[in-house]
Amino acid sequence: MAQEERYDFVIVGGGPNGTAMAAYLGKCGASVCVLEERPESGGACENVEPMPGVHINPHAVYMYAGPAPGFEQLELHKYGFRMNWSPLIETIAKQQEVGVLVSDGVAPITNKDIEGWAKICGIASDPPFIKELLRATHWCPPHPPEVEVTAENIPYMQVYKKHAPDIWTEELLDMTMFDLLDEYCETEPWKVLTAAGAWYSGAAGHYEGVAVPAIAGEALVTVYSGFSVPRGGMHGYFHAIIRCALSHGVVIRTCCPVDEILIENGRAVGVRLRDTATTDEKKVWANKAVISGTGIHPTFLKLINPAHTSSSLRKKVKDISLKGGCCWVSHFLTKEPLMPRAKFLGPGRMEPGEFGGAYPCDSRDIYYEHVADVDGRKGAPSVPPEKLLWMATHSARFPESDPQCTMPGAHVAGPYYTYVPPPDYEAGGPGTIDHKKDEVNAIVRKAVSEVIENLDDDNLIAHFVSTPWESEFRNTGILAGHFGGIRHCADQWAELRPIPELARYRTPIEGLYLCNQTSGHPGALCLMAIPYNLMHILIEDGLVEPGKWWYPSPWYIPQEGKISAALNSNEGESYA
Amino acid sequence: MPEPMMGKIFDEFPDESEWDVIVIGGGPNGLIASAYLAKAGLKVITIERRYEIGGGLATEEILFPGYYSNIHAIYHMMVDYMPVLRDFDLDRHALLWTKPNSQTGMVFEDGKSLLLSRMAEDTKDSMMKFSYTDANAFGKLMWSWRKIVDDILGPATYIPPMSPLDITMAMQKTKIGQEMLELAEQSPLEIITDNFENDRIRALLLYTSCMWGLDPRETGIGMFVALMLQRGSNKCYCEGGSHKLAGAMVREISRYGGKILDTAEVTNILMENGRAIGVQLAEGRTLRAKVIMSTLDPHTTFFDLVGTENLPGDLKESVDGWKYDKWSYYTLHVVSKEPPQYKCDDPWINDAFMNIFGLDGMDQLLSHWDNVVAGKIDMNNFGGHATCESYFDPHLVHSPWGGHVSFFQMHAPYEVEGGWEKVGPELEDAILTKWQKVAPNMTRENIVRKCYETPEGIEIRLPNMRRGAIKHGDYKPIQLGCFRPNQDCSSSATPIEGLYTCGASNYPGGMVLGGSGYIGANKVAEDLGVIKWWKPTKEMERYIKTYLE
Repeated sequence: MAQEERYDFVIVGGGPNGTAMAAYLGKCGASVCVLEERPESGGACENVEPMPGVHINPHAVYMYAGPAPGFEQLELHKYGFRMNWSPLIETIAKQQEVGVLVSDGVAPITNKDIEGWAKICGIASDPPFIKELLRATHWCPPHPPEVEVTAENIPYMQVYKKHAPDIWTEELLDMTMFDLLDEYCETEPWKVLTAAGAWYSGAAGHYEGVAVPAIAGEALVTVYSGFSVPRGGMHGYFHAIIRCALSHGVVIRTCCPVDEILIENGRAVGVRLRDTATTDEKKVWANKAVISGTGIHPTFLKLINPAHTSSSLRKKVKDISLKGGCCWVSHFLTKEPLMPRAKFLGPGRMEPGEFGGAYPCDSRDIYYEHVADVDGRKGAPSVPPEKLLWMATHSARFPESDPQCTMPGAHVAGPYYTYVPPPDYEAGGPGTIDHKKDEVNAIVRKAVSEVIENLDDDNLIAHFVSTPWESEFRNTGILAGHFGGIRHCADQWAELRPIPELARYRTPIEGLYLCNQTSGHPGALCLMAIPYNLMHILIEDGLVEPGKWWYPSPWYIPQEGKISAALNSNEGESYA
Repeated sequence: MPEPMMGKIFDEFPDESEWDVIVIGGGPNGLIASAYLAKAGLKVITIERRYEIGGGLATEEILFPGYYSNIHAIYHMMVDYMPVLRDFDLDRHALLWTKPNSQTGMVFEDGKSLLLSRMAEDTKDSMMKFSYTDANAFGKLMWSWRKIVDDILGPATYIPPMSPLDITMAMQKTKIGQEMLELAEQSPLEIITDNFENDRIRALLLYTSCMWGLDPRETGIGMFVALMLQRGSNKCYCEGGSHKLAGAMVREISRYGGKILDTAEVTNILMENGRAIGVQLAEGRTLRAKVIMSTLDPHTTFFDLVGTENLPGDLKESVDGWKYDKWSYYTLHVVSKEPPQYKCDDPWINDAFMNIFGLDGMDQLLSHWDNVVAGKIDMNNFGGHATCESYFDPHLVHSPWGGHVSFFQMHAPYEVEGGWEKVGPELEDAILTKWQKVAPNMTRENIVRKCYETPEGIEIRLPNMRRGAIKHGDYKPIQLGCFRPNQDCSSSATPIEGLYTCGASNYPGGMVLGGSGYIGANKVAEDLGVIKWWKPTKEMERYIKTYLE
């Protein structure tokens, strides 16, 4: 190996954000090195086969990234990208047929529910503006600090104003998702399902002032991809990204944990690898920038010597809220396929294969009880199992040619999610709940058994669980095992995400940029959004010059005194 | 794709596409073939059925969550010879090998032990405890076997096979060639018993010689004893796990424009006028190419994908006769709070890459193997080898609970008397009891997580390891050399125009030698008239010059 390792860009962490960033930079002609701690890149986009033929997804499951410019900008189709399209994508009416799971069985979804939902998601218009709406919420860098953020320049507000002036009102900015649903939809179970779905995808139904981001976060999967998954799971999607990066000359190294971001004269100049890293040379130098694709906490609290940051900044970083998104992830391996109880099945209800969604969605009291448990009492589930809210992913996402289980005489169901507090916020200290793992697992099975009739000891072969605490050790960039990165509340959204000083992916350290779900807008879901947004900033700083394939967000506002990322682009073409 | 309500979402990999070369199977040989040909400028795509490439190069979180294990290949014996490690800059992908001096220990119930080391003098020192005659015999044999391996068996691994007659002629040219021929005529058991007197030394050496599937009593395979003992004392560990080698190959393939399609099962090879012209995938996509290279076993390639009706000449008969490995493996993976500490007379045993236990001598070893071949496991008489992977590799543990990952592996029949459903858990229990006897700290309290994989499990995970056959077919004289998989196909080209075979079922075989992939790439490059950017290694050149010119 070369004596001195030097690249234009060094990226810490080979998850979906770090790797997609590498692909973008490689495509710009830059030399890039990605350093990943684990034996396999992919971060949250991972598949595990814990027993022969048993496929589980401990993190990302569904394709949320549909509207991402990255698909065409990085040309992922050339690198083997394919989808397993779910039947649910064909029409939103298909979802309407299924209904919502409540204690009594299946509550119907009414026309008003669907029409209201379709209206705010931008599907009811002709032509639909959902793609623009979703791009506006996720694929646009936060506005520069000198720009006052108003109802006039918030990207999604501009989209509503243009396409649906009847929806547009400044009050959208003051609403919770529940408020918005109360205005446009009808039945309580539908609202509860939607709010819970939003909570599991990003902004929650009860967070103030993020009604539209909450709707959009959920619409990415429910409407835009219709609960579809990439072929080979989200790791298959990641393969397309990493192979794109590699084909543009990016160097990707696994088992290379970074211990320090090297800073000289206030400037990030490279990284130092842990002594166990599988290379001879333990320092990798960056000519242009170091990009941290790992969590905001490790970046500022571990990798940077405190001599280079203010205590005030470090305190703000410590205070970033990790609440509201930590899943206790279960997969069940059973002898017989899981069978919903009779009251949930039948014409106008669910088919076993279509089964998925949240339970119980009777009323928002159940939702709030769950919030109180997780983020209020901060302990193991304390509500009775029949009131414990959980989510099930659809088994229908697996086609015959990409099955979830090939073990003969066995069936896999999952992931099933239920929220628990982030380890750092557990009332008894990190890991308290994990020490009661068997107990919590039994509660989860009991809760699921409210709907499933045969999740009993006779049928169960194995219950695979990954807890938030385990997640953060498996995947150090997933702080607190938080699926959404950090809380998607108004205080941590867009220009305020993760904190105002860091909102445009720049840091007080010159040459250090942030590219992780915890460190920037819009957060998680493997969207290729942070890399796309960060591209604007790197162009502004004169670090890259993309080719004609690049187009910026139409709602992007260049920072004063910087190079505009909107120069030389094909904007009109791609947003036509 | 469907037309959702918001119009087209994004492009996907096309339903129909054209390539120069399609490689079926993303195991080590498929990746090696793809890398050479992609770098040669050909438009190459590798199609892998599983969601992850690598085949037996698999480092996976089977002790989920948080613990990675090497579920197949781990002991890499040919790192010093594989051309691919010299022809590609794999270091740039952080590929790092460790070759511990303490290689293979054998721990006996009475607390005595033997230790096979990379440096033969250390092995001799260990053998001295039992027999200085054997120690010196071992030193002499390893001295001459090293030459046989360095000059002949190592380089020949990467050169198309010769007929037995041609080999005999060629080997007459040198003294070590003649020695090699003499060795080849004997059975492993004869070689070991003729040269060594001590029962425990014999057991260690016979186990090491035959552990990957040689029949100890079969004549005509004696050269493998030299190869396995010499290379078995030079095993390398790939830091971060064996999958890193596969990952490094994919990085090279991608760097040179090659493409990979995973989670893609080939259902048939498309034929036109007796020629292979493409493949059909289960998902409905079709890919066409000038050349199809299959790394799968002969049954899958010729019967399942090409179809018996398309097989010319007597190909059907020769494929029909293909026999899978005579035994497979049962592996118990465990997480323990502490690494195993073997209680024996030699503390260096705890440094060894592999430790054999459960077998106190030749009688036990041979009767264990006889049982396995007969489809039985005797819970009172079995043994195997264990490795504490995390002792060598801190990258395998990512859990708040910490600890170490280890495995115990033993020979096992694909079909076991009593059935695996019953035998599987019983054997797990028997192994843990046995392990604790030699390593007292391997108590049930120390072991916090465990899972076992049976031969049936191997086949489910990697369907091309039919009947759990890790080498895709038995190593016996009529399935070796130019007969692997048969005389028509052993140099990679097949009687079907456009179709090549280059997997573990081709010469020189499995176990991550990377020989068949390399030989296949050479053949395809020659047949397509592509300029080879690579040259044979210097060991290969010397071999060619000495024996083939």
